[in-house]
Amino acid sequence: MDGIVLYTLCVLGALGLYLVLRPGGLPIRAVGGLIGLAAFVGLLFLATTSLAGDEGARPGVFFVIFSLIAIASGVKLITHTRPVYSALYFILVVLASAGLFLLLQAEFMAFALIIVYAGAILITYMFVIMLAQQAPDPHNPSARPEYDLVPREPFAGVAVGFILLALLSHMVSGVLRDPPAAPSLEEARVMAWQDLVDMPEQLKAIVLAEQPGVDLAEDAPPQLEATGDGTTALVRYTLADGTAGEPLELTEDALPENIQQVGLALILKFREGQLELAGVILLMAMFGAVVLARKQIELSEDEKRQAAGMRRLGHEDDPEDFHAAEGSH
Amino acid sequence: MTLTLAVMDSINTLTLGHYLLTSAALFVVGLVGFLTRRNLIVMFLSTELMFQAAAITFIAAGRFHLDVSGQVFVIFILTVAAAEAALALALIVLLYRRKETLSAEAWSELRE
Repeated sequence: MDGIVLYTLCVLGALGLYLVLRPGGLPIRAVGGLIGLAAFVGLLFLATTSLAGDEGARPGVFFVIFSLIAIASGVKLITHTRPVYSALYFILVVLASAGLFLLLQAEFMAFALIIVYAGAILITYMFVIMLAQQAPDPHNPSARPEYDLVPREPFAGVAVGFILLALLSHMVSGVLRDPPAAPSLEEARVMAWQDLVDMPEQLKAIVLAEQPGVDLAEDAPPQLEATGDGTTALVRYTLADGTAGEPLELTEDALPENIQQVGLALILKFREGQLELAGVILLMAMFGAVVLARKQIELSEDEKRQAAGMRRLGHEDDPEDFHAAEGSH
Repeated sequence: MTLTLAVMDSINTLTLGHYLLTSAALFVVGLVGFLTRRNLIVMFLSTELMFQAAAITFIAAGRFHLDVSGQVFVIFILTVAAAEAALALALIVLLYRRKETLSAEAWSELRE
């Protein structure tokens, strides 16, 4: 990527975001938003043209749509003067990035993201926004608190952010110019079959499904081997009577799906209890939240004694206590 | 799964760069939001935006190297984000009870 053009686009984006952030009339903010979005599109375009020549390698139309929605609603999130709308725009960001995940074939993470973020975390945010809402002024119900209207040091914040963006996109342009080695298509296919080798029970189930009634040997798991360019694989298995069964050819349909791959990686690669550690983090967060948000109630000495089932001080002939004492006889 | 092999070659360096740029821009928007907003709740929403950007980077890089570890990392990011949201929101409720305002500057006397 051309350095000068890259930094000019970053400055343009900074200008756009600054115009949107600073309190001003609607036309100025709209112009700022347009400038910012144009700068982002220009950045993507620059990334596309910097490796021009391969016509088929343009980003897809869905990628452009989802990334524009994500960036635009992110900007709306940080500029909206009502926190409730900010939270709603965050849901839009989550949906757009779930769309990006789908484009990257991470189906499980896409839906987990929607369920966990839009379903759980954002609802908690909504409740806190409702809990911590100041009572509106009866004379002017649409008035917003001053701290929502006026940003803090918008110029310095935008400058810091876009220096970081210039640095990051400079690094990304380095990646574009000198790409890291990615697995070729054939290597990728062979790697995909390796997942199935790591799942012997699944392989056994596939053999049984393809050839019903076959009696597999208990101690010899089926062996899988990718053939040719990796589009198919050959399964060899032993029957219970010790003879080799007829080899089975598998097509790509037999490969594990995304959720199976994620589960397999979680168990095979992260086997030293990382998942349990995540559970402990969540448990500690839950304890922390309960302890923090609990309301402290000050009890008097008498109430404490009563809660402990003891007589109140200075009320030795309290009729209630008297009855209680009598009942115990 | 046929889908996976059919489009396995469709992400190359060029589109990896696009995903990385998108996530960088999203991260910067979140950072600017965290620095400039004065409402505690919106500040923490901005940190969630930064988590999103990190998740997109992880998944795009994992897709590029055809390694699902990137997606497993996003599971842990989701865990940390959920824990952070729970604790941060409990703290915000606590701070709000103390000062009856969500402004971060209500606590600026801590500076001195």
